[in-house]
Amino acid sequence: MTRISIDPITRLEGHGKIEIFLDAAGEVAEAFFQVPELRGFEQFCVGRMAEEMPLITNRICGVCPEAHHMAASKALDALFAADPPPAAKKLRELLYCAFFVTDHTTHFYALGGPDFIIGPDAPPAERNMLGVIRKVGLDVGKEVIACRARNHQVIKTVGGRSIHPVAGIPGGWSRPISHAERDEIVASARKNVEFARFTLKLFDDLVLKNPVYRELLGSETYTHRTYYMGLVDGEGRPNLYDGTVRVVSPDGSELSRYHPDQYAEQIAERVVPWSYLKFPYLKKVGWQGVVDGPGSGVYTASPLSRLNVADKMATPLAQQEFERFFDTLGSGRTGGRYLPVHSRLATHWARLVELLYAAERMLELALDPEITSTDLRAKPGPVTGRGVGCVEAPRGILTHHYEADQRGVLTRVNLIVGTTNNYAPMALSIKKAASRIITGGKVVEEGMLNRIEMAFRLYDPCLSCATHAFGKMPLKVTVRDASGAVVHEVERG
Amino acid sequence: MGTVVVGLGNPILTDDGVGIKVAAAVRELLAGTGVEVVEAYSGGLRLMEAISGYRRAVIVDAMTGGLPPGTVLRIGALEGRGTRNLHSSHDGDLAGALRLGRELGLNLPELVELVGVEAGDVETFGEELSEAVRAALPKAVAAVMAAAAPGMDPGGLGDAATAGGAGERS
Repeated sequence: MTRISIDPITRLEGHGKIEIFLDAAGEVAEAFFQVPELRGFEQFCVGRMAEEMPLITNRICGVCPEAHHMAASKALDALFAADPPPAAKKLRELLYCAFFVTDHTTHFYALGGPDFIIGPDAPPAERNMLGVIRKVGLDVGKEVIACRARNHQVIKTVGGRSIHPVAGIPGGWSRPISHAERDEIVASARKNVEFARFTLKLFDDLVLKNPVYRELLGSETYTHRTYYMGLVDGEGRPNLYDGTVRVVSPDGSELSRYHPDQYAEQIAERVVPWSYLKFPYLKKVGWQGVVDGPGSGVYTASPLSRLNVADKMATPLAQQEFERFFDTLGSGRTGGRYLPVHSRLATHWARLVELLYAAERMLELALDPEITSTDLRAKPGPVTGRGVGCVEAPRGILTHHYEADQRGVLTRVNLIVGTTNNYAPMALSIKKAASRIITGGKVVEEGMLNRIEMAFRLYDPCLSCATHAFGKMPLKVTVRDASGAVVHEVERG
Repeated sequence: MGTVVVGLGNPILTDDGVGIKVAAAVRELLAGTGVEVVEAYSGGLRLMEAISGYRRAVIVDAMTGGLPPGTVLRIGALEGRGTRNLHSSHDGDLAGALRLGRELGLNLPELVELVGVEAGDVETFGEELSEAVRAALPKAVAAVMAAAAPGMDPGGLGDAATAGGAGERS
């Protein structure tokens, strides 16, 4: 097989690379990305006291420490059989919503938006956040920075420290908030709701009203009919902090709903010969390789997935957007629910619907009279031996699984991070994008790198946890013939 | 405000934590001088936000540029030769974030300098540095001190550089 590699020119960030294999006819046979697996996390943790985990795991990755802190805190609740009081859960969720607002806002304006707002074929020098801001106005840029600043402040206030929260403890939360702090958070949440609405309007004006982008949004290149996974509450509404895992099939019917604790019975991991990455898949369906369709156990866990598994949204404005999302993209209904949207580029829109939900939910929680309660901790019981904690990270469901002896010393640690869920879908998207660009052994250079990057950018992969960061870094494409000799090379600094 | 030193990296990823360890040593040496020392864990916008409001910034971070492990370089932030964590996969690199910040009228440092320490291992979880990188700590501390507090007598750096602890300020 001929192999094409896309390599970062420098090793600024580890060394992710995309490998594209061609068949004898020069058509794309297989595509995937390789990233060096970080080593030894389990050994690093085993032998430590379990209660250190919320502080250790939030160091795994610079992008979503809050998600790890929260999953770790929840795993400890289970390990020490201590169900936190309602106010503690509300504070956790409040912090978590502030984190989501920041993360989703940043992704849209800095990473995802440029493909639409500037255009997928624009030179990379313009296709970035600065380009977006120049197009939509400096005031919007200032709003983005202000949004990050006020939500970072909320995370610091509620979590006890900026960036790496420290307040999560087994059975609750270590720090109440004062009435004055609550009032500040309410003000921030109100601004978040307005900013989310503004961002959705911007998406409307710049993307939905532009026929070229509108078409891109439903483009077959990035369409895969997979299973979808997300956390839902008792009413089938997405919840970022807690819930049961719901999996729906490509036709929208529910395949399973289970407690996150049961993940190992539902999901298995597959190592394929051409990659050392472990691809998670649904055990019930089975592994058929990196392919989509109802017969393949490949699933997606992303903002789009979370909408696809939902009956409805839990907040009023997000519900309106949710309906508009599915109606606009032409989804019918089945059993009172919308049919899933399979076009992956719609993930960018789904992310903004979630942004609005997170902002509204944050406001609800901040206004809850119980949020200033000081009853924040349940007394831990004896060590149960096993604890699984699960939250929705912005890029997909995140699971922490710990086992400990009677003293609370860790004996086993297993994490399934958000991005890992999407390895197979990302490979599908990269393969499809590559297939459009490479035919009969000929490589169309124009826009190639970006079309392939778009394929993984929409998943907002954070490989710092699973492996290593892999974003808009310089890329290098090498095309090799069957003997391995380089016949074609493209570089982008 | 005056000068800030930023220790950048991941303290649980072996040599990727070198910037954090250098910052801890420098914090002791600079106590009472008015130079602030902070830690940061990702590049891009976060890093730009961490240095906004200061007149000068010195960022110390691991490098993976194929040099012998333990090599210490002092480089201009925007000279093209980056260090490991300047770029965030979530929002872009420091240079782009700085351009954006300036365009938005944020109060950003006139001078941003980097001190890079070539890493040996950035893929294994661990809190200790590899031998070559640990041996380079005094040199890295001296380079950061020279950049952050050029007038100070660098005497006694060796002791401070090998002192442990990586307390976090926020």
